[in-house]
Amino acid sequence: MRERIREYEFGAHPFDREQVKAELRKAADGKRDARYTLKPPAGGLVVRVHAKVLGGYGKPSSESAAVFQNALARDNLWITAEEQAMLIAGRVPESLQVRIARFHLVDNTRGEPPMWKSEEIRSLKIQLRNGKISGSVHLETDDDARGYRAELRGHVLSSGNTVTGFELVALGKFFGEGAYTRNAPDGRFPLAVTFQLADGNDVADAVAPQGARGWLDGYLR
Amino acid sequence: MKKSFFVLSMLLVVTMSAASVAAELSEQRCRELVAELQPGKDALWRTIPWRLSVLEATAIALEEDKPIFIWAMDGHPLGCT
Repeated sequence: MRERIREYEFGAHPFDREQVKAELRKAADGKRDARYTLKPPAGGLVVRVHAKVLGGYGKPSSESAAVFQNALARDNLWITAEEQAMLIAGRVPESLQVRIARFHLVDNTRGEPPMWKSEEIRSLKIQLRNGKISGSVHLETDDDARGYRAELRGHVLSSGNTVTGFELVALGKFFGEGAYTRNAPDGRFPLAVTFQLADGNDVADAVAPQGARGWLDGYLR
Repeated sequence: MKKSFFVLSMLLVVTMSAASVAAELSEQRCRELVAELQPGKDALWRTIPWRLSVLEATAIALEEDKPIFIWAMDGHPLGCT
């Protein structure tokens, strides 16, 4: 890469700046593909989601395997304006509970994971009392190939009509893997998922949730 | 009698298992996990001024006279750890 940068600095790849500017103007005026320009719900919230496998791996077979075994996954949870209002009113709406379970309580530490189907939610209860969140979840596929049982705990802070703090932690035992998340630990292994209100200072805060790609209505319903 | 004892034992095991996880997830443990599950601020890749839009990146590159480094794949931008 250093060589390519040096080539650039020495002008080895000349180009017409005015032509590039014209192309940029043309592109800026053009129609964008909505699938790649998703924006968070108006008046809603963006929450950073991190996941990590806390143990259970054997000795890594290579350096890259070790990277995956220690990986910290990142995604974003979107909360609608209506759901924010319900959180302030002291309830975790069912739509938000289901979204958290189906699209965010996943093992995405080794790649893109399969999300949970509605019918794979065996039990789900997330409640909010005096600003404290508690709950439990059991997710499992029909063929018993993949599952997650976890407890949840967290808190919500608000000021006026705005949620000013949202923190949630899920900790439990996961088993199984997906087509693009191979090489999970054998058997049941501890998986933690944390949620924290985003402050917009990280460029990744603007990335649409993985579960919303090409299916925003399904993600937000 | 044996069957009742077995069912009771299993119920006890399930209850204890759930209680054990709940006990594990104390407020202190929550704070520790939130702190532990943060990307390292010193990671080299975090020092790159990433942009999500190639058009925005091109405009900035032109303005600052810098080349663009593109990291691209066919999946979710955050999905390949």
